[in-house]
Amino acid sequence: MEIRLKNLTKVFPGNPKKGIPDTIAVNKLDITVPDGKLMGLLGPSGCGKSTTLYMIAGLLEPTDGEIWFGDEDVTELEPEKRGIGLVFQNYALYPHMTVYKNVAFPLTNLYLEERATTPDETKRALIKRDYVLKLAKAKEELKTLRKAGNKAGCEAKKAEIITLKAQQELDIKAAVLPQNDSEGKPVMKRRHLTKDEIDKIVRETAKIVQIEPFLERKPNQLSGGQQQRVAIARALVKKPKVLLLDEPLSNLDARLRLQTREEIRRIQQSTGITTVFVTHDQEEAMSISDEIVVMKLGLEQQRGVPQEVYNNPVNEFVANFLGTPPINLFKGHIKGNKIYIGDEMVREITEKNVPDQECTVGIRPEGIIVDEKGPFSFHVDRILTMGRDIMLVADHRSAKSNTKFVVDSFVKVSVGDVKASVKPHKCFAFSLEEGKARII
Amino acid sequence: MTSETTTVNNNQATKKANPIKAFFKKLFTPKERIGADAGEKNNWKAWLYLAPSLILLAVFTFYPLINTIVIAFLKNYDYTSQVSEGFTMDNFGVVLGLVGKTGASDIVYKWQCIYNSVTKTWSYVSGAGSVQVYFQTDVINYALPNTLIITFVTVPVSIIISLLISIGLNSIKAFKKFLQTIFFVPYVTNAIAVGMVFAVLFDYQGIINFIFNLGASPWVDQAAPTWKAMIALCIYIVWHSLPFKILIFLSGLQNIDKQYYDAAKIDSAGKWKTMMNVTVPLLSPQILYIMITSFIASFKEYTSVVGLIGMPSTDGGGTKNMYTVVYYIYDQIKGNVGYGAAAAVLLFIIIMIFTAIQFRVSKKRVYY
Amino acid sequence: MENEKKTQSNDTRTFLQHLFKMKTAQEKQVERENAPSYRSIKTSGMTLVIKEGRANVKQLEAIQKVSHIVGTVLIYSFLIFMAFIVLFPFYWMVITSLKSTTEIRSLHQTFFPTNVLWSNYITVFNSFDFTTYVGNTLVVGIISTLGTLVTTIFAAFAFARLNFRGKDVIFAILLATMMIPGEMMVITNYITVSRLPWYEFGIGKVDGWLTYKDSVFASMIIPFWVSVFYIYLLRQNFKQIPNELYLAAKVDGKSDWQYLWKVMVPLAAPTLISIFILKLMGAWNSYVWPQLVTTNNESWRLVTNALRGSFTTTSGEPQYGIQMAATILVTVPLLLLFIFFRKYIMRGVGRAGIKG
Repeated sequence: MEIRLKNLTKVFPGNPKKGIPDTIAVNKLDITVPDGKLMGLLGPSGCGKSTTLYMIAGLLEPTDGEIWFGDEDVTELEPEKRGIGLVFQNYALYPHMTVYKNVAFPLTNLYLEERATTPDETKRALIKRDYVLKLAKAKEELKTLRKAGNKAGCEAKKAEIITLKAQQELDIKAAVLPQNDSEGKPVMKRRHLTKDEIDKIVRETAKIVQIEPFLERKPNQLSGGQQQRVAIARALVKKPKVLLLDEPLSNLDARLRLQTREEIRRIQQSTGITTVFVTHDQEEAMSISDEIVVMKLGLEQQRGVPQEVYNNPVNEFVANFLGTPPINLFKGHIKGNKIYIGDEMVREITEKNVPDQECTVGIRPEGIIVDEKGPFSFHVDRILTMGRDIMLVADHRSAKSNTKFVVDSFVKVSVGDVKASVKPHKCFAFSLEEGKARII
Repeated sequence: MTSETTTVNNNQATKKANPIKAFFKKLFTPKERIGADAGEKNNWKAWLYLAPSLILLAVFTFYPLINTIVIAFLKNYDYTSQVSEGFTMDNFGVVLGLVGKTGASDIVYKWQCIYNSVTKTWSYVSGAGSVQVYFQTDVINYALPNTLIITFVTVPVSIIISLLISIGLNSIKAFKKFLQTIFFVPYVTNAIAVGMVFAVLFDYQGIINFIFNLGASPWVDQAAPTWKAMIALCIYIVWHSLPFKILIFLSGLQNIDKQYYDAAKIDSAGKWKTMMNVTVPLLSPQILYIMITSFIASFKEYTSVVGLIGMPSTDGGGTKNMYTVVYYIYDQIKGNVGYGAAAAVLLFIIIMIFTAIQFRVSKKRVYY
Repeated sequence: MENEKKTQSNDTRTFLQHLFKMKTAQEKQVERENAPSYRSIKTSGMTLVIKEGRANVKQLEAIQKVSHIVGTVLIYSFLIFMAFIVLFPFYWMVITSLKSTTEIRSLHQTFFPTNVLWSNYITVFNSFDFTTYVGNTLVVGIISTLGTLVTTIFAAFAFARLNFRGKDVIFAILLATMMIPGEMMVITNYITVSRLPWYEFGIGKVDGWLTYKDSVFASMIIPFWVSVFYIYLLRQNFKQIPNELYLAAKVDGKSDWQYLWKVMVPLAAPTLISIFILKLMGAWNSYVWPQLVTTNNESWRLVTNALRGSFTTTSGEPQYGIQMAATILVTVPLLLLFIFFRKYIMRGVGRAGIKG
């Protein structure tokens, strides 16, 4: 089910008497989430991502714009009728119900739609005749076994008879003719799910999220991670067209976070549900999303495949937001199609002609190569050995804040002045004007 | 999944018993004891502060409690002279209608008597001949049944009505405060005073008969049939008890996290389903509290009868058909105190039993 | 031997199950395995739908709008209807007090008095001796309320802030007394009160500085100078005052007494006001105990006692008009209190429900 947000806007009215202005939480958001993909809404607090999610869910009404699920405009539709699953940030599990009941609750409110059918009498008669013969034969065999005193065989035969009987009932039930209405179209009827059906679906969903051992516990007897999975199960159990997750990992500890985000990805891929999730952790968003949308103050900054957004940020905010450690920003200028930080030319611009201007230069931490002949120089204050690589905490007079560079672990470098060359694709220039768009 | 049990190494305990014991003792003492007093673990001055309350309580609560129980077992206790005729269980018997009075002595048990269904009298055959026996039937015939009817009718009805009103109030936005205030007004009124207003409403020539045109017989005046008076009484009691319940339920409802309602919406639960599966269970602590206090209060119903009818009967004083247990107790204070005490003790026991039953039942169904 | 027993009981069980058409565990398992499954529901085209089925969105929106409006209308109608029922007796009280007796008793009840009679009120003032009863009630009410405040403040302070051996035990016992019906105590209290020495001063005599009247009033006041409920309420409030203030006061060298009166009482003022108002209302509404204690002299009664049974004609017919006027005069002060102190009243009552 494709989700399409058209010009979605949400304005929270202020109080003119008290001088509180209106807050524009979401500003003309236009996003398409393709069917079956996992999209991450990423941004700092207050950027409107949770608001967007709640509007998709229907718990908040948009001030303007439309929300489409597939080819239906659901903007005015109540949340009960949208058929979505939502995992709340605080899980919102009903504290008075067991886990089983929590997960089964959505199923008790929904109906199964199936083809209306009429019993096929002829076929049923045939089946009955078949089974009568089979059962008679089995009963004969049972008699002989009993006479022979074969206890084990008796039990097995009895089990067989029971299976036969159950099978007979099922076959009779299955021998039906589909009903068509006067125009030849199938007649659908809706019914509640039977207890067994609910039980089956709940247990299957429990298997997917691995909460089977806890089905009889109450939510307050579970740990955070377990509650998280129960919340996911509750959202999935009704087989929604859309799955929404509101900062699902923010309440978990670091170790659990890694584990759970893999699970979310796995579940999403195996069920193929279109998923949107909201987070402020860029690592989380980048690692599992098919596509991410970076938001700031209600406006979409950039959208794309995570690697693409990382490699080609559209402005300084996006570049700064993605990447750990964050991108290093310096005061610089462009002159003669060359980017300078101070006097040092760090990069030549070859793609196009750029007018001379003052700019902010951003260099990714992994964007330097330690090189005696390199143009870029900085002073290393500390070296942190990370095992996998080495982080250099450095100092540069044009830097806007503490700079960190990451180099491979076999590079020989020590505290003091270091010279390096800059990888061109890891070096960006951002305009100083409003929006800090990327120049190159 | 990992089980979360901690194991205590018992081997060490035997060797270093004292330090560990002291540590645990400190650990499990309530926080207050550690920090609050800055060293004063036993502040004798506190007793000075408590003294007035404790003395008053001792004189007017603890001592009476024991004393009343004792009186219940005293025969013909005269409180001015503090003389009694000894200990007996008969007071209870009299109250329950099992022990009767003849003219002279009053130790006659019901199973010793013969009932004459024609004259509807009991008589006892002693050596001197047949004597008529009088059994105290007001409690068994009127007080106890009335009290039970009041309890089991008004408590469920008033709880359901107040629950519906509270849930309704909680779901509207406009005029909410205004309606809340209106619903609270009956609480600040005088039970007797408003009872008299209801007496006017239910008067034979009053407005209720006028609107509903049911007036073949009066409701609460003299010559009112008991069932009609009971209906009027129950209506009055329900009316008077709504405000308190609504207030408690409303504050309980406001404490329910809105997220549960959001989750129920996402789970496609309709309004009724949400109410029964989310709102009411999350409100169950308040419901239990109200049930227990309402039960106890309705067992003690007295002022409503006085307010509405003014006297315990609607047939000119012939029988006391509108008696309640507490009415009987107060009447007996000027009569035989022993009977009153016995009735009070019986009341206490009944209340305790019902409260215990309710706690039992609530264990499974109340969620905190 | 055991195995035989087991199979025998199994046989019986299966037999009974089949007899009553119950399904054995095996049959259930077979059924469960063949019921529509998660995957098969998806693939075989079975879907879970909301109540309205697969109606299109426009229809759903229309249904939703209508049911929304209907729902809101129903709720408001219900609430307004109930509010009307709640207020109707008051309305009736007012108009009855302005009607003449004949109009009240007429076969055609009117919803508005045809002649507005203020004379009922005048009669009340003249014959009811209103001022005496109000005076009595105010005296009893204020003195008992002030006394209660004092004992409650002391006791709540002790429970909330101080530490002493057996503190929890005593508090638990106090809470338990709240569950005991007052009737258990009334009998003995009446006996106690009628035998206390102050009664003996000046029964019939005027010497001794306590007259009989004083002792009757004392017996209406003193037993109610303590209330466990208010101690509980105030203790909760005191506990919310941070402990640090106490420690700071201690460091400043202030004694407990000063701390209590200079810090805690001002901070707990809202609750104290609630207690004051609720207790005053309780005194105004009290009936049982004063009735009991003042049987010898009607002029010492409280307002409520005097109300009931007043204004009946010699033939026993209650004069409703005058009665209603008196009732209004008794109720109006309470309503005034409510209007001005609504917050305190509702908060004090509401606190009762927080802890079960």
